[in-house]
Formats: sequence, structure tokens, C-alpha cells
Amino acid sequence: MFTPHEILDKGSFCTLVIACQETMFRTAKSILRQDEDAEDAVQDAICTAFASRDSLRDVQRFKPWLLRILTNKCYDLCRKRRPTVDLEDMADRLPSESQDHDQRMTLWQAVLSLPEDLRVPVTLFYYEDLSVREIGQVLGISEAAVKTRLSRGRGRLRLLLEEK
Amino acid sequence: MNQFDEILKKRAREEPFPLPQGYAGRVLQTCAALEEPKPRKRYPFRQVTWAAAVLALMIVVPNVSPAAAAAMADVPVLGAIVRVITFRNYVYDDGFHSADISVPELGGDEAAQTVNKQVQDYTDRLIKQFQETCETMEENYGDLSVTNSVVTDSDVWFTLRIDAVETQASGYQFSRFYHIDKTTNQVVKLEDLFRENSDYSRVLTEEVQRQMEEQMAADSGAAYFPEELTEIDPNQNFYWNEQGELVLVFDEYTVAPGSMGMPEFVIPPEIYETLLK
Repeated sequence: MFTPHEILDKGSFCTLVIACQETMFRTAKSILRQDEDAEDAVQDAICTAFASRDSLRDVQRFKPWLLRILTNKCYDLCRKRRPTVDLEDMADRLPSESQDHDQRMTLWQAVLSLPEDLRVPVTLFYYEDLSVREIGQVLGISEAAVKTRLSRGRGRLRLLLEEK
Repeated sequence: MNQFDEILKKRAREEPFPLPQGYAGRVLQTCAALEEPKPRKRYPFRQVTWAAAVLALMIVVPNVSPAAAAAMADVPVLGAIVRVITFRNYVYDDGFHSADISVPELGGDEAAQTVNKQVQDYTDRLIKQFQETCETMEENYGDLSVTNSVVTDSDVWFTLRIDAVETQASGYQFSRFYHIDKTTNQVVKLEDLFRENSDYSRVLTEEVQRQMEEQMAADSGAAYFPEELTEIDPNQNFYWNEQGELVLVFDEYTVAPGSMGMPEFVIPPEIYETLLK
């Protein structure tokens, strides 16, 4: 049943966005891999979310709502331009030459080395603490599909992180 | 949640995650520059009925009738006359879901009418799926956009392309190509180009797989799933490019990750010309 809801004013909207800024960047980067592209997507998503904030029914669901808009922007960017790999960004994914062989891989390096379809659910689950249901809503996939991807992601992370 | 999950969540919290320099400032600037638009009027989902307002049918460009189209084509042509004569637009927006669907109609003989029927059936299916999405995922967001373009319109060949983009979380882009051989006034599928029992499917499959491997070896940014391409379908999307070469087109995600968009492969004529009818 539809019930009227309050529309966020600009100040409240911006406060919520700023609280999510790290989450937004990390999520965008997990899809796009490049800092500049991720920042573009975040900026676009903020503008789109503000323009359509009347569609947010429950302010408690602001974060998954915003992330859904953001992931749409990221996939739009993927379609418009095929990403190229910046050498500086590769540093995020690979241990640097100066890194001691005994030094363990960071979790983020391990996440970025996962296949595309696993990176976002893994990021949202481990970094953003979203539930399986919320991840499904953000990605528009079933909870079963989220669980499958998390399971595959978990298996790969175990191999990557425990062999170090 | 198992112990490994807990370890990973702890590491996620504790390991430093450096944001790009100036990122926080840019977020602040973006927020500061936001302007208050007039909020869209939201309608109670249940109050919007498909019959009344959901699919507003508009004849946008009813410019000429099929007969007029034929009369207008006053240049001598070898084969049938095929033109896009009108578009029907379906638009819908309930605040959560939006659709913008443009359905072209061709003027011409039986082949054009056959394509019209196929296009109508196809877009009807997309609209039905969209309606179901609206009803079952009313709290989620979804968009459907369907556009069209004429890829080829020569004396002997006509190709109409229908592009669709479904956006829920990740977008999904897919297309259908409809071809008319004007010299025979027949609708043509990929398999119709080749002689019967010509093994064209295997030849094209191997060539596409070869090109995938070649591109991946040459460009670390290229990614394909050659193993997922088991067989070129008789209805595989294709068109002829300006050089007259056969181009195979694949829907997003079917043979490559989404970041590759809709891959296209130009097939050199020497690969397939001996197999043509």
C-alpha cells in the first residue's frame, strides 16, 4: 500500500551522502577499477539520486537505494567506454615491486583481483556490511544468486589470502 | 556467518583504504552545487493501471502510408521498396519504473509486413516482461529503453536494428537485427546466407573464438569467454558493414563481461565466401 513519505531536503540528503562517500567510492571502484571513472560515477550518482530522491520511500534504506543508483551509473560508464588499465591503478591490484615477499596481500588487492561478477557483492558484504537481501536489491539479482557469488568469492579470497 | 567471514570483515574494517586525494572535497562540491528541482509527482503504484495510463500509445511520426512510401520512391530500384514509415512510442513512468519504447513500422510488401509482425511480437514480449517486473519488484527501480535504426538501405538489402537496454542494477543491452533481401523480397536470417549443410556455424564459431583469443593476447583490457561460445546460432545477429563485410554482433554478457559491451566481430570474406549460396 502506498503511503505518503517525507522527501529529504538538500541538507539532510547531503549529510547522508557524505556519510556514504567512502562506501560509494569503494563500490564504484570495485566495478570500474579506475579512480577517475569511479569518481565520475559517484558524482553522477549523487546528482541523479538528488533529482529522484522523492522515490526513496524509507530513509533507513538510503544506503542501498543510493548504491543501486551508483551501480547503474557504473554499468552505464562501462557500456559507454571500455575501460583501459592505468598502470598506477594496477598498483592497487598487485603487490608492488618493493613489497616484501613476506608481506601479505591486502584484502582490497585480493578483492580487486576477483572476476567482475564477484567483486561488487564481496565488497558490499565484507566492507559495507550489507545483508544478502540488501545486496540482491542493489544488484537486482536474487538472494540465491548473491549467496552463490559470495560463496565463490569467499573461496577465491581464501586461496589468495591464506597462501600468503 | 563463519569464522573466515568474520576475519575478512575485521580486515575490511581495520586495513587502511586510501581515498584519492581531493575526493572528499569533490563530493562536498558536488553536494553544494545541487539545485532543488521540482520533485516529480509520485503516483501510488496500484492506482496506475496499464489499461488507462501505463502505456501511452502515441503515433509519433505518421508521415506516409505504405502506398505513399512506394510512390515517393521514384528512383529506379532493383528490388522491393522497404521504408520505415511510422513509429509507435510507448512511454511509462511511475517513479520507480520507466519505459521508453519506440516501435518502427515498415512500409512494403510481404517481407516488410513479416518484419513488422516479428518486431511487434518481440517488443510486445519486452513490454510484457517490463510489466511483470513492475508488478513483482515494485520497490526496486527498473528502466527499459528500446530504440531502432536502419543499418543498411541499399538497392538490394535492408537491415533494421532494434536496440534494447534493461536497467535494474546492472544494465543489460541487447539487440535484434531484421534483414530483407530486396532482390527476392524475403526476410533473411544468418543461416539463409549459406548453402545447406555448409558447416557455416562451425567455421564462424572458430573464427570468432580465434579473434577473441587474438584480441585478449594483444590487449590486456580485452576479455572474452571463448569457451561459452559453443555454436553460432542460425538466428545470430549480424549485419553487413560499409565495406560489405559480415559483422557478427553478440548481446551483452553472452560472450564477454559486461564491461566489453556488445562485442562485434568482422569476419573476413575469405573465411565464409565459399560457403555462401
